[in-house]
Order: sequence, then structure tokens, then C-alpha cells
Amino acid sequence: MTETQQKPIQPDPQAKMQSINLDVWFGQKQVLKSINLSVKPNTVTAIIGPSGCGKSTFIRTLNRMHELVPNAKLNGQVLLDGEDIYAKNVDPVMIRRRVGMVFQKPNPFPTMSIYDNVAAGLKLTGAKKGEDLDDIVKKSLIQASLWEEVKDDLKKPGTSISGGQQQRLCIARAVALRPEVILMDEPCSALDPIATAKIEKLVIELKQNYTVIIVTHNMQQASRVSDFTAFMYLGDLVEYGRTKDIFESPKSKLTEQYITGEFS
Amino acid sequence: MSRIIDRGLEEQAALLAKMGELTFETLETSIYGYLEGRNVKTQVREMSDVLVAMADKVEDQTFELIARFQPVASDLRTIKSYMKIGNDFARYGRYALDITSIAEQLGGLTQCEAWIQQYLSLMSQKVLFMVKVSVDSLRRHDVTLAKTITAPEREVDRMYLEFLNKLISDASASSKCVASGLLVTRYFERIADHAVYVCESIIYVVTGEKANLG
Ligand SMILES: Nc1ncnc2c1ncn2[C@@H]1O[C@H](COP(=O)(O)OP(=O)(O)OP(=O)(O)O)[C@@H](O)[C@H]1O
Ligand SMILES: [Mg+2]
Repeated sequence: MTETQQKPIQPDPQAKMQSINLDVWFGQKQVLKSINLSVKPNTVTAIIGPSGCGKSTFIRTLNRMHELVPNAKLNGQVLLDGEDIYAKNVDPVMIRRRVGMVFQKPNPFPTMSIYDNVAAGLKLTGAKKGEDLDDIVKKSLIQASLWEEVKDDLKKPGTSISGGQQQRLCIARAVALRPEVILMDEPCSALDPIATAKIEKLVIELKQNYTVIIVTHNMQQASRVSDFTAFMYLGDLVEYGRTKDIFESPKSKLTEQYITGEFS
Repeated sequence: MSRIIDRGLEEQAALLAKMGELTFETLETSIYGYLEGRNVKTQVREMSDVLVAMADKVEDQTFELIARFQPVASDLRTIKSYMKIGNDFARYGRYALDITSIAEQLGGLTQCEAWIQQYLSLMSQKVLFMVKVSVDSLRRHDVTLAKTITAPEREVDRMYLEFLNKLISDASASSKCVASGLLVTRYFERIADHAVYVCESIIYVVTGEKANLG
């Protein structure tokens, strides 16, 4: 992508998050190659692409989780509201609070109750003064579309509910910290179709209050839930645009081949 | 639980309902203009252009829904039929415009023989009624109402042929009126056909059955 490197990329004032000429290496191996992507606030952006293309690596750079991996190196910028999250004076803990993450496998804390699972992050980072913990827990569970199902069982262990409910519990946990951006890495891959449909609906609801970036292996899922889609291949961002356009008339032959299942 | 696709389907239904209203208004404006000798071409052209743009939008939405949601069964039938109905509605608009062109080129109907005027007036009532039935069946997804379209359609067909025969046998009618009446009744007959197509689409959406109401 030498062409884009020659032309300097400007910060996009309308972006909630933006990566500029982002390169990532694991040791000698470059796994992200000059990724330029700008995500608008209150939208859902899906990241698709074959296994190993760098989807997880990319979203981990967006809340500085990537730097927890030994041997990893990063070049370029990631802007949150126009500010570089990798700048010297920036506290990574603060970034991870503003940019939350939901993982592939539901991972509630096994020894904690449903209530404590939601409150855990808040207790760690400290709730703001005058905030009522019960209230935040309830609101978060409502936002995660789980409240009705667990409101009488808040003292039960977080692991006592179904996988799909556990995943929504993890979403409630992320939401409780009131992040601005929620990253999701294949949040439905361990779920059945019904639990998946619930999460998909939830993702669309979440964009009213948050900016959502979701990695998925399931192209249909990307097409259903997202406003924008990014297709990555071997560390390159091949194509990025409105989901409708990507799935109706992709510009790149490679995207066309991937989404039509013609990939060899 | 409502599904993600439902929002898109509702949007399409709302757009088509609006098209239905506009379609009826456009035909009414055009037909009364013709019967009463008023030039309404500019107005009808604008309305017809809006209908075409709306049909394009329905088609765009159809493609998006197919690409994004891989609809099956009743969803697939609905989406396919909505696109077809959008085009039928746009055709209504084009025929309305064609009728204003006839009025412009051949002069209004007011100078024609009384029996021709009566005939066209009567036929136009039947056609407008059919359009209304098609629009209402769509809005309410009403199969029973849709099935009532057959009787007026036969009546319009019969009137069309009867009118042709009368024109041929009545040598006194002026050539302008003959041409005008012929063309307009032909458009009426076509509009009636599209009303039938719309009703057939409704039955297909609701029941999956490919009805033949013509
Ligand atoms: N900790 C690591 N050390 C070394 N290489 C790594 C590490 N994590 C990932 N990689 C490599 O980086 C590349 C991108 O991996 P990444 O996990 O981002 O892919 P992905 O698109 O998320 O794939 P999947 O769809 O299978 O989850 C792969 O080639 C992978 O082998
Ligand atoms: Mg991954």
C-alpha cells in the first residue's frame, strides 16, 4: 500500500476512532500493514476476513490490549476522538475503560455472582461519587437485554446461566463502565442460532449509546448487524465501506471472491 | 421477538403505502383533467416522476434486504412482491402521464360526442375503483379484498371491446375523438391489468399461492 503511504492521511474530525498508517509486527512478522480506517460514532462496524488476516490483532490495538503481548511492535497512530491513544502521557487503563472489549468465549468471573460480575469493573476502577451501584448494575443488565431473565437470581453464580446469557452478562459488564466504544471479537462463535440472534439484536441496540466494532467469521452476521464493513486479507485492509455496498457491489475482486465463497 | 429484518420490511411496506396513495391521486388528477378538459400535464409529470423515484428506492431496498439478510420463505416472497408492486405503481403513474399527453395532443374530451364522454367517464370510475382496491389490499394485506378484483377487471375488458365496436360502427364520431377515446380506453385497460397484478402479488405474499385473477 505504498500509494497511501505517500499521501499523508489526515485525522478525520468525524471519526470516533481512527487508525492511521497502522503497522503491527510479532517479532519479524508483519501482521498489519498500514491500516487506515475511520469509524464513525454510533455505528456498528464489522471486520471480516479469513482466519489469520489480523482481525483480532487490529481490534486489540484499538484499546491497547495489543501491547500486553510480548514481542509485539506497533507503528502508526490510533486516534480516539482525535487524540492518539499511544501518546506518551496517555494512561492505558483509562483507554481500556473508554474502549471496552467483549471476547469470543463468554468469560464471567466464575466465583462471582451475576451482580458482582456486572459490578466488578466498577469496583476495581471505582464508581463515580454519588452513583448507586445497584442502579448501574440494573441499567447495565437492561441495556444488555438480560435484566428480565436474571432479575430474581442476581445472587446466583455468573456461570450458572446459559452460554448466551453469559455472553450478555459480559456485555453488561463492559457496559457498566460506560465505555464510548465496545469492541467484540467473535462474540457469537460459541453460541447457538437463537442466542446469536439475541446478541445480534443487542448489538444494533447498543449503537444508540456506543460505537461498536465487531469481528466476525460469519459474513451473514456482518451483513445483518453492521453499518460499515471492513474486509481484511493477509494484514491488508482490502476494502472498507457501507455494508450495503460491500455486500451488493464490492469494488475489489478479492472481496467479491471472499463474500461469495469463491475463495481458494 | 421481532427480528433485525423486520425493520427493513416495515420500511418497505410504509414506502409502498405512500406510493399507493400518491398513485391514486396521480390517476385521479390525470383522468379528471382529461374528462373535464383541464391541462394537468405539468402536475402529473411531477407526480409520476416522484413515483418512479420511489419505485427505484423500493428496488434498492429490496437488493439491500436480499444482500444483507438472505431472506427465505414469507420474507423472500414479500421482498420480491414489494419490488414488483413498486413497479406496478410506477406504471400507473406513467399511464396517468400518457393520458395527459393525449389530452394535450388531441384536445379535451369536452368537444366529443356525449356518448363517448359518458363511456369514458363510466370506465374511468371502474378503473379508479380497481386501483383503490389494489392499494387497499396492499395496505391491509387483505386477501379477500384482493380476490374481488376479478369482477371489475372483466367488466373493464368488456367495456373496452364494446367501446371499440361502437367506434367502428359509429361513422359520425370525429377522428380526434376516435383516436383519443381509443388510446385512453386502451390505457384504462392496461391500468386495470396492473391492479390485477398488484392483487395477485398480495395473495402470493400472504399465502404463497400464485393466483391468476385476470
Ligand atoms: N501472540 C502472537 N505471537 C505471534 N504471532 C501472532 C500472535 N497473535 C497472532 N499472531 C499472528 O498474527 C496473525 C494475525 O492473527 P489474528 O489473531 O489477528 O488473526 P485473526 O484474523 O483474528 O484470525 P482468526 O479469524 O483465526 O481469529 C496470524 O498470522 C497469527 O498467527
Ligand atoms: Mg481472531
